[in-house]
Amino acid sequence: MKKHSTKIYAWLYCLPAFTLIGVIVLFPILYTGYISLTNMNLYHWQDYTFVGADNYIRALVKVDSGFLSALATTLLWTAVNMILDVAIAYLLAVGLNVEGLRARRIYKTLLVFPWAMPAYVSILVWRVGMFNTEFGLLNRFLTALGFDKMDFLSRNVPAFLSCMTLNLWMSLPYMIVMIDGGLQSIDRSMYESAILDGANPWQKNWYITIPSLKKIMAPIIIMTTFTMFKQFDILYLLTMQKGAVSGSTLQTIITYAHQNAFVSNNYGLSSAVSMVIFVFIIVFSLWTNRAARTERSEQ
Amino acid sequence: MKSTGKKKLYLLFLNLFFICVCLLALVPVLYVFLLSLSSGGGALITGASGSLTLENYRKIIVEKPFLQWLFNSIVLSVGTMLLAMITSIGASYAFSRFRFRGKNAAMQLLLLLNAFPQILSMFAIFRLFRLMNLLDSHAGLIFIYAGSMCIFGIWNMKGYFDSIPIEIEEAAKIDGSGNLQLILRIIMPLARPAIIVTAVMVLIFVWNEYLFATTFMLREESYTLAGGLYQLQANDYSRSWPLFSAAAILVSVPILVIFFCIQKHMVSGLTAGGVKG
Repeated sequence: MKKHSTKIYAWLYCLPAFTLIGVIVLFPILYTGYISLTNMNLYHWQDYTFVGADNYIRALVKVDSGFLSALATTLLWTAVNMILDVAIAYLLAVGLNVEGLRARRIYKTLLVFPWAMPAYVSILVWRVGMFNTEFGLLNRFLTALGFDKMDFLSRNVPAFLSCMTLNLWMSLPYMIVMIDGGLQSIDRSMYESAILDGANPWQKNWYITIPSLKKIMAPIIIMTTFTMFKQFDILYLLTMQKGAVSGSTLQTIITYAHQNAFVSNNYGLSSAVSMVIFVFIIVFSLWTNRAARTERSEQ
Repeated sequence: MKSTGKKKLYLLFLNLFFICVCLLALVPVLYVFLLSLSSGGGALITGASGSLTLENYRKIIVEKPFLQWLFNSIVLSVGTMLLAMITSIGASYAFSRFRFRGKNAAMQLLLLLNAFPQILSMFAIFRLFRLMNLLDSHAGLIFIYAGSMCIFGIWNMKGYFDSIPIEIEEAAKIDGSGNLQLILRIIMPLARPAIIVTAVMVLIFVWNEYLFATTFMLREESYTLAGGLYQLQANDYSRSWPLFSAAAILVSVPILVIFFCIQKHMVSGLTAGGVKG
């Protein structure tokens, strides 16, 4: 009797949350899956018909649909950003923990600033204050040094590098704080015995610091990889705002799906792309889950 | 003796290095702050030169519907926070304390749903809301925001609830408290750090969201601060960088204040759920 009643309570407490999530998150995803099988677009808003897997074939097989190049850009973007993010944050965090660095609290507080700023404000601020051809600080530097002005966002490669710089500026503080927290949790005595054994700083980093950080950092690195993969705001706000398209044709898969839905009104194709992305995410998270589990069972 | 000299030189070099890094991190913010104080509207400013003025701040507050946007932002963030917290505290209590079939599967499903970028289902939500007549209404946006933040809340708070010993509750149960009383009187006060951090994260999320706010709100007076600021720089003809900069500073200040207030709890409040998993 008692067991029965706790079960009812459990579902009762979950009900409001599940209803909300069901309507706002789960149903739209299923609906997106449904739309992906139709030819819904601006001309077929109500009288759309089923086209089966046509949208998927168009996205995945036809090279000129742009999806495959967007996918390549996304993978390159995620990989380059992750490597630089972790490497630079690691160097800075190790630097911050050098013994005798008295001003480290001040540095830490100042370095956190880009993290605390609202993301879209930072992006718009960079667009206006840094990359802008007329007033941007970067172009002022260039002209002051005698170079020609440069439109950072009009061609693909400079646009990619500009977006990357901004992304690193925004994401490094979080990574520094996390690695810094990890560094402080490492047992000091390990270093002392390493010094007694005559290890140099490089060896200490390689054989003590990095292996100890691995465990603590794994979930954070996986989460950050998701965030980088999903990054939409930077590319969208810098290069493809309505009425202010900068000229570069750079697309990640997320901006590609968004453009197809809200600019070219090709809802079927956009939804198909969304579902493909969702499958990627499911596979990736299952894979990381399994990797984490096997690592845990090995210990 | 020689080695301390070397060490000092090394530290000096390191300090110089970090001063440069900090400058790099702060330059865009400082530049925009200077822009916001520069006189001369329109696009013909010459940067930091010229006299400093608060004129831009006066203009943005008086001439633009800034206060209306602020009001909308407050309504949306508080509304979302209440809805998301009420739903997710209930659910994370159930997930933490009760055993029921499908619990683990439900937690995993929630995690997966959370990984789906909401931008991708934006069109589906748009169509759904058109049908339900929720476009261009604050209630509609509150539902969207609360729905996505609810999952974050459940995961984040469940970990903390798990760390509260169940014996405390059992003592209260013997005294005859019901489940709801248990949550209000015992769990919520004990889990205060996690609840505060979660609530603040929801607040910051809503304050910073511009894409749904501009897509689902069709009139300028119903924009949030984020939407309004976006509009300020997107509109080619009325573009004025000093005005935009002043607005950007005004919008960021509350978030900066909140962020630095809870920064101490940030690491513990955010990782309590994740590390245990």
